[in-house]
Amino acid sequence: MLLPMQLQLILVLALPSLYVLWLSFTESSYGATPEFVGWANYAAILSDPSFWRSLVNTLIVVNIVVYVEIILSIGVALLFQSVKRGRALLMAMILAPYAVSEVVAVLAWRFMLEPDIGILTGLFSALGYVPNWATNPIEALVLVSMIGVWLHLPFSFLLIYAALIAIPADLGEAARVDGARPWQRFRLVTLPLLMPAILIAIIFRYIFGFRIFSEVWLLTQGGPARTTEVMAVYLYKNAFRYNEFGMAAATGWLMVLGALLLASFYVYHVYRSGFRNEV
Amino acid sequence: MKSDLRATLLRGLAIGMLGIWSLGPILLIVLSSFRPERDIFSPARRFNLDVTFDNYTQLFAAFPQFLPNMGNSLIVALGATALAVTTSTLAGYVYSRQRGRLLAASAFFAILVRLVPPIVVSLPLFPIADALKLSDTHILLIVLYSAFWVSMLSVMMKVFIDQIPPTLDEAARVDGASTTQTFLRIVLPLATAGMIAGGIFVFVYAWNEYLFAFIFSSTRAVTAPLIVSNIMDSVAGTQWGVLFAAATLQLAPVLALVIFFQKFLVAGLMAGSVKG
Repeated sequence: MLLPMQLQLILVLALPSLYVLWLSFTESSYGATPEFVGWANYAAILSDPSFWRSLVNTLIVVNIVVYVEIILSIGVALLFQSVKRGRALLMAMILAPYAVSEVVAVLAWRFMLEPDIGILTGLFSALGYVPNWATNPIEALVLVSMIGVWLHLPFSFLLIYAALIAIPADLGEAARVDGARPWQRFRLVTLPLLMPAILIAIIFRYIFGFRIFSEVWLLTQGGPARTTEVMAVYLYKNAFRYNEFGMAAATGWLMVLGALLLASFYVYHVYRSGFRNEV
Repeated sequence: MKSDLRATLLRGLAIGMLGIWSLGPILLIVLSSFRPERDIFSPARRFNLDVTFDNYTQLFAAFPQFLPNMGNSLIVALGATALAVTTSTLAGYVYSRQRGRLLAASAFFAILVRLVPPIVVSLPLFPIADALKLSDTHILLIVLYSAFWVSMLSVMMKVFIDQIPPTLDEAARVDGASTTQTFLRIVLPLATAGMIAGGIFVFVYAWNEYLFAFIFSSTRAVTAPLIVSNIMDSVAGTQWGVLFAAATLQLAPVLALVIFFQKFLVAGLMAGSVKG
C-alpha cells in the first residue's frame, strides 16, 4: 500500500535528482549525448559573476521574506487569538491570498506599482519618493519579496497559530496573577513556548523561499541586464535559453545541497520527535 | 475601562490594516475587471463607478482559448488531487497501523526527497518527457503535481487515520474482512475529512502552479496561470481590463474553494505541521 506513493517519489523526484547529479559532471545540451567533464561545470558557474549575483539576490529575497513573514505571522496569530467574534470571517480574510496564483499576485502588485497609474506609486510619490522597480534592481527584489510575503503569510500564520492555541491558557493566567505585564507575559511565557514552531516555520520558509522562481520570472525575467536573477532563474536560463544543461545541472545540485543543509536541522528534529518511535 | 476601549480601538485598526493587506490586491483585480478601460488607466477617474462587462467579452473574443485552458487547469488539478489523495491515504494507513525500521526509513526518504527544488527536476524530465511523448500532456503535469504533495499528505493522512481507533479494524478482521475490505469499508469512510483537507492543498497548488506548466506545456496542456501570464506579456500597458478579467476568472473558483473549505485547510495544515 506504500508502494504507489514511494514509486511517485522515486520516479519523479529521486531518480531525476540523481540523474541531475550525473548531468552536472557532463558537457551536455538538449538533444546531444552527455560527455563527462568532471568538475568543469562547477568551476564554470563558480567563476561566473551572474551566478554570484543570483546567489546574493536569492539570499536578499529569502531573508526579507522569511523574517518579515515570521514576525507578521506572530502578530497576526496573536491578533487572531485575541478576537472573540467573527473569527470565521477573519480567518477567511487571512487565508484569501493562499488561493491566489503567483501570476495573479504579480499582476496585482505590478498594477499597484505601475509608474503612472499605480495606486501605491501615487502614495509613495505623495510622500516624496518615486519608486521604479523596472529600472532599480534593489526595488525589484524588495517588490518580489513583498509578493512572496503576501502569498505565503497564510501558511506561516497557520503553522504559528497552531502552536499558539496549543499553549495552555492557565500559564498566561498564572503569570498575570504574579503581576506580569502583557509584554512580559508575551516575552517570558508565550514566546519561549512558540519557539519550536517558529524555528520550524523559519526552516520551512527558508527551504521553500530558496527555490523562488515564478515571482521573479513574471516580474522582471531576471532583468534588467541579469541584475535581478535568483538561482532558479539562473538555472532556467542556462538550461532553456543558453542550452547549457551541464551548468544548469551543477546549479541544481548546489541548490539541492543548500536545501539539505538548511533542512538537516528540521529533519533531525522530525526524526527525534516522531518517526523513530512512532511509525 | 478606558484602557479596554483603547485596546479595542487598536485591535480594530490592526484588523483593518490586515484586511487592506490581505484583500486589497484581490479586490483591486476583481473590481478593475468590471471597469471601463479609460477608468482603469486614469488616476483622476479612480472613483468613477461605471460597471461594464466589456473586458470579459473582449477577453473571449481576443483569446478564444481562455476557457479551454481553464478546462485544462480543471483536468490537471482534479487528476493530481485524485492521484495524490489515493496514494497518500494508502500510505497514511500503513504509517498509522504499522511500525518498523523499514517504514521509518521510507518516511525519512519521503521527507528528504521532498526537499528537491522543482526546477532541478525539470532538467532531466524535459528530454525524458519528450522521448516518452509526454511533453505537453495533462498526464505529465498530473504526475508532477501529485509527486510534490504525497510526502506531506501521507503524514497528514497518518495523523487523521491515527484518530480512528485500531480496534475498529481488528473487529472487522475478526468478522472475516480482508485487509482491502477493512480499508475500504472501515477506514476510508472515517478518513474523508482528512482526504478533503489533503485534496484542497493539492487542488489549490495544481490550479495555480506556474513553473512546470511554463516548462512542460506549449499548446495542448496549457493551464490557466500560463495563459494569464501570456496575456500579461501580450497586452500589458494597453489592455489592462482584459488582463483583469482573465485574472479574475483564474482566481475566483479557487478563492471560493479556500473560503468555503477553510476549516479543512486549517485542520489539515495543523495535522501535517504540528506532528511532523
